[in-house]
Amino acid sequence: MKINNVLHYLGLVIAIVGGFMLIPFTFSLINAEPDQMAFGISIVITLSAGFLLWRFTPITERRISLRESLAIVAGSWIMAALFGSLPFIISGVLPSVIDCIFEAMSGLTTTGASVFSSVENLPHGILVWRSLTQWIGGLGIIMLFVTILPMLGIGASQLMEAETPGQQERLTSRIRDTARTLWLLYLGFTVAGFIALVIAGLPGFDAFNVILATTPTGGFAPVSSIGVYNNLAVELILIFFMVASGVNFGLYYYLLWKGRPAKFFGNPEFKLYIGILAGCILLINWDLVANAGIGIFEGLRQASFQTASVMTTTGFATADFATWPHFSQAILLVLMVVGASAGSTGGGLKVIRLLVLFKYTYRRILLTFNPNAVIPIKIGGNVISDKLISRSVGLTILYFAALWAGFLIMSAIGLDFVTALSSITSCLGNIGPALGTVGPMSSYADIPGIGKLVLLIAMLVGRIELFTLLVLFVPAFWRWR
Amino acid sequence: MYIVIAGGGTVGYNIASMLVVEDHEVVVVEQSEKAVEYLNQQLDIKTIFGNAAIPRILRDAEVQRADLVLAVTDRDETNMVICFIAKEMGAATTAARIRNSEYTGYFIPPAKSTLSARRIIRPKSLGIDVFINPEVEMAREILGILSSFYSTPVEQLANGLVQIRSFTIEGSPMAGKTLSELNFAKPCVVAAIARKEELLVPRPDLVLENEDALYLVAERDNMDYLGRMFSAIQRPARSVFILGGTQIGMLVAEGLADHDVVVKLIEPDEEKSQKAAVRLEKAVVLKGDPTDRDFLTEQGVPSADAFVATTENDEFNILSCLVAKNLGVDRSLTVINKPSYIPLAEAVDIDVAGSPAIITARKIAHFVLSGGAIAATLLESGQLEAVEFVVSPQAGIINQKVSQIEIPKEATIGAVVQNNQVIIPPDEAVIHAGDHVIVVSQLNVLHDVEKLFK
Repeated sequence: MKINNVLHYLGLVIAIVGGFMLIPFTFSLINAEPDQMAFGISIVITLSAGFLLWRFTPITERRISLRESLAIVAGSWIMAALFGSLPFIISGVLPSVIDCIFEAMSGLTTTGASVFSSVENLPHGILVWRSLTQWIGGLGIIMLFVTILPMLGIGASQLMEAETPGQQERLTSRIRDTARTLWLLYLGFTVAGFIALVIAGLPGFDAFNVILATTPTGGFAPVSSIGVYNNLAVELILIFFMVASGVNFGLYYYLLWKGRPAKFFGNPEFKLYIGILAGCILLINWDLVANAGIGIFEGLRQASFQTASVMTTTGFATADFATWPHFSQAILLVLMVVGASAGSTGGGLKVIRLLVLFKYTYRRILLTFNPNAVIPIKIGGNVISDKLISRSVGLTILYFAALWAGFLIMSAIGLDFVTALSSITSCLGNIGPALGTVGPMSSYADIPGIGKLVLLIAMLVGRIELFTLLVLFVPAFWRWR
Repeated sequence: MYIVIAGGGTVGYNIASMLVVEDHEVVVVEQSEKAVEYLNQQLDIKTIFGNAAIPRILRDAEVQRADLVLAVTDRDETNMVICFIAKEMGAATTAARIRNSEYTGYFIPPAKSTLSARRIIRPKSLGIDVFINPEVEMAREILGILSSFYSTPVEQLANGLVQIRSFTIEGSPMAGKTLSELNFAKPCVVAAIARKEELLVPRPDLVLENEDALYLVAERDNMDYLGRMFSAIQRPARSVFILGGTQIGMLVAEGLADHDVVVKLIEPDEEKSQKAAVRLEKAVVLKGDPTDRDFLTEQGVPSADAFVATTENDEFNILSCLVAKNLGVDRSLTVINKPSYIPLAEAVDIDVAGSPAIITARKIAHFVLSGGAIAATLLESGQLEAVEFVVSPQAGIINQKVSQIEIPKEATIGAVVQNNQVIIPPDEAVIHAGDHVIVVSQLNVLHDVEKLFK
């Protein structure tokens, strides 16, 4: 592994992050707020760090190896979070450095767990930066990088595969065209959502921030919760865009570019995703009506928004689900693990893996009473290879291992049972708000420092799919040159 | 261009890697999971996993908008079916790799004689526009080399009026001179120089080194004369040993025997040697181990003109060639299936190493032509391409002198053909609409070169 290759590309990624800081900088200039200094300094530091790193690491070979791409991907996310936290650190809006990094990582990984106890009094620049970090991380930093910068084709596809393993099908012949198509869709959703929100009556600044947190299924809002707006149209628009962003983006390509709706609506993952969503909304609605004494229409409104928000791993809220009846809370906790579809901007374990695991388990049951049966695992008529299944199984085991380990640590530092379990579940699945004392109407400010560090790692682990990050901690990765 | 390649084996892989460099949109359909994985790791192309002879898979590959469908799986019948379905779906051009010469034989319209077989089926009715037979192409190339004076293949353009051939500087006084100091006895253009797998742009002040390969563009009648500057003429082979009763081996044996060359074919396998003996009536078929020195000496290899290795095992081919060379055979030629072995084989002094896959890719270069190109051929293992363009009436270069044309430095204009008159060197020629211009270019700038002639 040539360390120069890795640093060279990391420099470029850091520079891109610095470039994006110009947007909140403009907002703070327009509003003449004190955070403009913070952004000015952050931009200078980030851009020059990126440039110097890029400039002074000449690369000999343009082709990057698999190990290098893994290191680049993991490094990019860590660097982006560190440099992305600079505006928070320098402006002094948060009490400690770990809080600043937590907020930046929470944004980039589209988690949306906030350490701000109230956001109403924050300067505009900081608010925009919070929202924008999510938008940058939504489709993946590497995917953004591949779209913006000309890169050798095969290196680009290796990088994208390392960022979202086995999730994004190649749509076009050249990988850059695929990345561009997906970004175009993403941008299109964002613009469409912005216009819809403005029409629904949201102020321009709020609409801008909310939509930047919706299409990447992030969850930072410029107000304490979406419930503040008390606007049914806004809620419906957000439900639509949250659910749409939780669908595999590749499917839209077939729907919109290729005119093949059957490939979209007939997709087994899409059908299951919508099915689970609808089923859970009805169950929660019933629970709310029966056990919380909420009217059926109000119940449906609250259940739909909260369920869509949690399953797509967005994390917006119009009601405090931490105070809902236990059955509803349990459903939401399970949905946090399930997550959205593969190849979407959502997090969690992904619906497709659930489907694979279910079929795999079912096969095991059948094999128990008839060991001679040959049962291929099929999804949508295609046989899933054993290699893919074993990857899904391995990933799920790791996911739960991380979950339990995090749960133990969170309990050890003194959190109550519900808070400990739900906070780690929520961060690992990139949702944001959890249950207990870190519910949608409160913040992560009171979690002890070590807890924040654990959650911060959980967010990253949940976003770039465990293996990519874990390899960095395996000694053999560094030893086998 | 949008090109669908059915079959991602050696041939498919090589064609795809060539087309990607030329910036075409390429999709490969392949039904071996391993091959798909390898393609994905090595090339920036879309791959589709599945059997390309199934309409559903071809639909996924969007053959209806394909400019070219190449069926290069290892089964003739599959390739024919793929072309048939692709054509029905609306592919513009289809090409099939057909190895069994009996198929191609039937398809080619027979000579107009009462004795010849009637044409049963026309390729068009099967939807196949082009037949590619890597084995036949390879055999043809080997025969061409064996019957010529020099050991490198020659490329013909402009209906054979212009030839392109590479010559290697072997200790001749040319090494150490600059290009401008060279005195060619007949008019010619140095179109490119290959030095140790690297391509150099010919500049007047470039100093030549030993073992540089020069690509010369010259008129047909002058080429053999020019070659004497580089190496002594070899006489066409009169006695040849062939290793391997493979398709290529038998085709070469038949071709040589027809020209009264003494041919001995060595095949270690009992059954295969029997088959070869039945088919080859004019050649001697020997069963034995070609790496056994005593056996080869006894059969007269030391006094033979050439040794041709054609088995499917590259390592065995190279080794046998080395043994033969060591025994004193004049020229050694080998068939190499893994193109990455070619530089290796040439490094150990095997005279010619050719790969059916690359030859097929070269053949296909004709069909991905765009702009005003009418013919093309690949040189230097597919890094260079010689293209014959017809100048369109709208082209910006009309009425310009060739020396004034702003062409990328990686490309050289080798010849201009006006009214069947070849102009070499073409520097002072003024371009008119309808002229044929022969350009030797590196693949990555070919796109820019094309624009000049549109």
